[in-house]
Amino acid sequence: MIDPVTLAVVRGSLEQIADEMDLHLIRAAISPIISETNDCAHGIFHPETGETIAQGRYGLPVFLSNMQFTTQNVLRIAKEQGGFKRGDVWILNDPYIGGTHLQDAQLVAPYFVGDKLFALFASTGHWMDVGGSVPGGWAPKAEDIHQEGTVIPPVKLYDEGKLNDPLVAMFRANSRLPDEIAGDLSAMVNVFAVGQRGLDQLVARYGVERLGACISEMIARSEQQMRSYIAEIPDGTYRFEDFIDNDGIVDQPLKIVLALTVKGSDLHFDFTGTSPTARGPVNLSRNTTLSSCYVAMKHIFPEVPVNGGAFRPASFTIPTRTIISAEYPTPVGGYLEVLGRVIAVVFGALGQAIPDRAPAAPFGTIGVCTVGGRHPDSGNFFVGVFPYPGGYGGTKATDGLVHGTPPQSMANFVSLEMSEHRYPLRFDFFRLREDSGGAGWHRGGCGSEYQFTAWADCATTVLGDQCDYPPFGAAGGGPAAPNVVEFHTDGKLWRPQMRSKHENQVLHEGDGLHLCTPGGGGFGDPLERDIAAVQRDLNLGYVSRATAERDYGAVIAEATPLGDRSVYRIDANATSAERARRRAARGDDGKRIAG
Amino acid sequence: MSAVVGIDVGGTFTDLYCVDAKSGAETILKVPSTPDDPSRALLDSLHAAEIDPKDLEALLHGTTIATNAVIERKGARCALVTTRGFRDVLELGRRDRPLMYGLQGVQQPLIPRDRRWEVSERVDYRGRVLVPLDESEVQALGEVLREQSVEAIVISLMHSYANPAHEERIAALLGAANPAWEIVTSTSVIREYYEFERTSTATVQGYLQPLVSRYAKNLQQQLRDWGFDRDVLIMQSNGGLSPLSQLSRRSAYIVRSGPAAGVIAAGGLAKEAGFDKIITADMGGTSFDVAVVINCEPRVAEKTDLDFRVPLRLPMIDVHTIGAGGGSIASVDRGGILEVGPRSAGSVPGPICYRRGGVEPTVTDANLVLGRIAVDSPIGGKGRIALDLESARKAFAKLGSELGLGIEDAAEAVLAVVNLRMAGRIRLISIEQGLDPRDFVMVAFGGAGPMHGAALIREVGIRTELVPPYPGVLCAMGCAIADIRYDYSQTFEQRLNRSDVSEIHDILKRQRAEGEAQLLKGDAPHSSVQIAHFADMAYAGQIHALRVCIEAGWDAEQLTRAFVAQYKAEFGNVLENIPVVVVNLRTRVVGTRGGLARRAAAASTSGAAPRPIKRRPVYFGGWHDAAIYAREDLLPGMSFDGPAIVEQNDTTTVVEPGMVTRVDAFGNLLVEVK
Repeated sequence: MIDPVTLAVVRGSLEQIADEMDLHLIRAAISPIISETNDCAHGIFHPETGETIAQGRYGLPVFLSNMQFTTQNVLRIAKEQGGFKRGDVWILNDPYIGGTHLQDAQLVAPYFVGDKLFALFASTGHWMDVGGSVPGGWAPKAEDIHQEGTVIPPVKLYDEGKLNDPLVAMFRANSRLPDEIAGDLSAMVNVFAVGQRGLDQLVARYGVERLGACISEMIARSEQQMRSYIAEIPDGTYRFEDFIDNDGIVDQPLKIVLALTVKGSDLHFDFTGTSPTARGPVNLSRNTTLSSCYVAMKHIFPEVPVNGGAFRPASFTIPTRTIISAEYPTPVGGYLEVLGRVIAVVFGALGQAIPDRAPAAPFGTIGVCTVGGRHPDSGNFFVGVFPYPGGYGGTKATDGLVHGTPPQSMANFVSLEMSEHRYPLRFDFFRLREDSGGAGWHRGGCGSEYQFTAWADCATTVLGDQCDYPPFGAAGGGPAAPNVVEFHTDGKLWRPQMRSKHENQVLHEGDGLHLCTPGGGGFGDPLERDIAAVQRDLNLGYVSRATAERDYGAVIAEATPLGDRSVYRIDANATSAERARRRAARGDDGKRIAG
Repeated sequence: MSAVVGIDVGGTFTDLYCVDAKSGAETILKVPSTPDDPSRALLDSLHAAEIDPKDLEALLHGTTIATNAVIERKGARCALVTTRGFRDVLELGRRDRPLMYGLQGVQQPLIPRDRRWEVSERVDYRGRVLVPLDESEVQALGEVLREQSVEAIVISLMHSYANPAHEERIAALLGAANPAWEIVTSTSVIREYYEFERTSTATVQGYLQPLVSRYAKNLQQQLRDWGFDRDVLIMQSNGGLSPLSQLSRRSAYIVRSGPAAGVIAAGGLAKEAGFDKIITADMGGTSFDVAVVINCEPRVAEKTDLDFRVPLRLPMIDVHTIGAGGGSIASVDRGGILEVGPRSAGSVPGPICYRRGGVEPTVTDANLVLGRIAVDSPIGGKGRIALDLESARKAFAKLGSELGLGIEDAAEAVLAVVNLRMAGRIRLISIEQGLDPRDFVMVAFGGAGPMHGAALIREVGIRTELVPPYPGVLCAMGCAIADIRYDYSQTFEQRLNRSDVSEIHDILKRQRAEGEAQLLKGDAPHSSVQIAHFADMAYAGQIHALRVCIEAGWDAEQLTRAFVAQYKAEFGNVLENIPVVVVNLRTRVVGTRGGLARRAAAASTSGAAPRPIKRRPVYFGGWHDAAIYAREDLLPGMSFDGPAIVEQNDTTTVVEPGMVTRVDAFGNLLVEVK
């Protein structure tokens, strides 16, 4: 039996080491994507099982558990090649073994005490460019992985402390930004010294045996904690499905099907019925499918500490050759669209079991809009990246958040003024998108809407989704408004054939792009929404008069003009009567959700 | 005319520190705060200290009114005027969420959407007018705003930092329409790009301005009635002072002025004691604040989030806060692991032992159970009441039974966990900045800081803990010793190889002149003026800029050289062949006031041991017989070994077994591991 003080202190210390690894890379990385948006992750892993012991709390949620799976794969491959030696560092970006996409380079290094392997460290960082047909790597027309960049299989970057220089030369030769990725690579290697120092101190303080016992115990405790939450979910099988509009090449919807079974304190995610591998890049590797399920769970149960124990109660059935189990040579550049939908179906399934905790669907498209060309002022090449914001779903507790960052990310949107300094674009507006949140007792959060016009030639690529299948509501709430992408070129307004996937559209002076991001789904019956809240939404312009009347049964008593707007007053009695009439018409008493 | 008084108005207590500039004699006291009118407690403290207004040379003051008004949304009814198409910038922010995990969260913009209005105008990134201002729209808007009965109007237009003419014209038109409105243009608060951050910062200013003006007028009047008619100096969050008469225009600068004052005082005291690398550790009832000070220069943050999506982009002392304090609650999670905080019992219901209805065990209760604080401790100046040891022990018996520990071991486990969290934050703040915390001295203050300081230095590996003479009123002392300070900034955003450096020189000259004029306007005494110029610079394409100290007359080559040297120092490499961009130009104008009164070091009693007032059992892994000292008995040169407890009115200092404490020439306690 380990004493509780040591256990609490050891857990805190291990999490601290992982945090320090995160911060070290965030500070030392060259690429802004790491230093500005924390697109990285670090962890400490079990030497035999590869299970997560601790993971840094500054990196992105998307890496929550797939670092564990990557480490487990590398552990297996290293064993086949004679095992880890002191001073080894392995590297890979192969998404079928690692996870995500080619831009995420992953490093794994052993930690020895004496000649015994005590733990493994892993570091993941987003590299700005690894070659491929499109700078930065987001290629909506890619039909195989080689169009997306250079594949690095699991190989030794350092062999017993000796750097494999020719390998680094290969990386450099295959990137458009060789100095940046070489800088990021050495920063990532240096992170292991931070981890090493931290573990050395812990080993010195507690000894190998006691520390090892603490680690096993804290993994077991996390499992116990996770199980205590699962046990509170009523047993049963909960089914949910959602769709991707198309893969960018073939205009056909792709389906993600989940049957989630809760039995006691066990969870089983069965994705049987999910669409076969897509031709275009909307495919997700198996590891990241698992990770997405855990991200969704962690959003619902944020209290559970992240280590391998929290992952133990879940098992998976993921059919091969589907859009959620990408295999070579399937392209994966649009993986974030699939990932968003996996998170959504987990929310959708759990919403039936535990509506008090599961939110309605948040916006689920990362909708990357890339603008590139040569700036007329400087003659230099530029690439601007504008990732989608969107609304969150309503929950039992509150309305959904306006203009959130994707659930798997923490990255921010760029400053418009800064963008106008860097790119030959002018933003015409950047505003909250009225009526974009799903109707509900708790309304979905609104998305936003913006438009830019080019004042010099440039090329634009969009890679998004959710034009045909918007974020869904929960517990009787309505869906959010779908994504809309509109080009205006040559005086004409038009929408791309694949709605939100379109590659290298040339814009001339005066041409532009109008993007409308989805909101989040509504939670609960909109006819139950507090009438004062509807009036407030109306006067703030979150919902239009038409929506208030149609979805919320509002009866407007008065509309007083103020400037170019109207100030509305809702007739509460008439609204209650109208709501009662509608309920009677649909044959219920209106108490479908707990108000 | 020789008394200098610093007063820090906090949420619960108003602290006073008074020093006689001639004799160096010091007085401290605490009175309860009066949140309905904070100036009343300020006057109460002056009366309680029996200060004669005729003796008062300077009155310096820190306040939480601005912070509270933002957090509790009790500021002015404001309107926002923006460029057509951009009224929602304030609400949308930059795409984020409150917490990494959990998709819940609501937002309350300081100005709701129905009071945000747009006018036709547009300026580009170089300040060129693309769409002229439609003045008839502004006239019409005046009518609308009157109808909405707003108190203050914030004007924030796209790229106004490059050309503020439209903002200023709108301000003039609306000001003429109704002179009673308080009008704030974004560029008058911060002349930098990043539309959301600038708009938010200007909004905070507008939101606070009416409230702060009223406070300033009221305070001035009350002080005049009392007999003091000189200008009062107010502590700003940048660590410098500004006259009360200029306060309303600088309302956004006084958010979190209290913690800033504490850092200034800690830095000054440590410098006087001969230390130049300092970590400040301020632990109170609900939070633990950490900051880094090197050579008396506190690290300054670019941007501080006052609340979710309420950034303030003004120079503020970089104080990091975690929810760990005397009131932090201990509980056992579902995995059976002990957790402390971030939930806090606050001051109401407070710790169990305070007898105000608290039922969950807190850090303070643990300190009591372990004998570290005395049963008859004074709680925040309220005099000595008997703490409820019995109930605290019962709570730890219950907690211990869940963990399989006895009462004392459970209490000690709570301290271990909370200390670990605080030690972790100290390590992170130094690692974030590439520093090794072991090179630093930690100054422990706040009501609970010296109680935990010994454990923190042991945990982090810091050699020395410095406990100042009055740790409980350090923020008030900071007000008394700070300098007057004005900061200016302007976005430049040009590559050095293509820009004209004479433009840089003009901007710096203008900023300097503005600051000097401001110093002259206030009648606050200062002995000299110090000017420092800085440039935020980056390699073209980078998002993060480095702040580089520059000289006014430098040419492009000198500027580049300074940037490259600093880049190399911070990141260990340089990027060849990438042009360097000057993003912002900054000037700091400081009117120095002389800092700490030179206190003569008392004659050393060289190593003599002080006499304990008593002994009592204190628990450190087992009961130890510990010496209890009164702080006033500890004279320069004395030293003693732990385990020991030092008691004084404003705090309790714990010295662990295996540690030694020396009293330095200035009366600071220096606690070290033997």
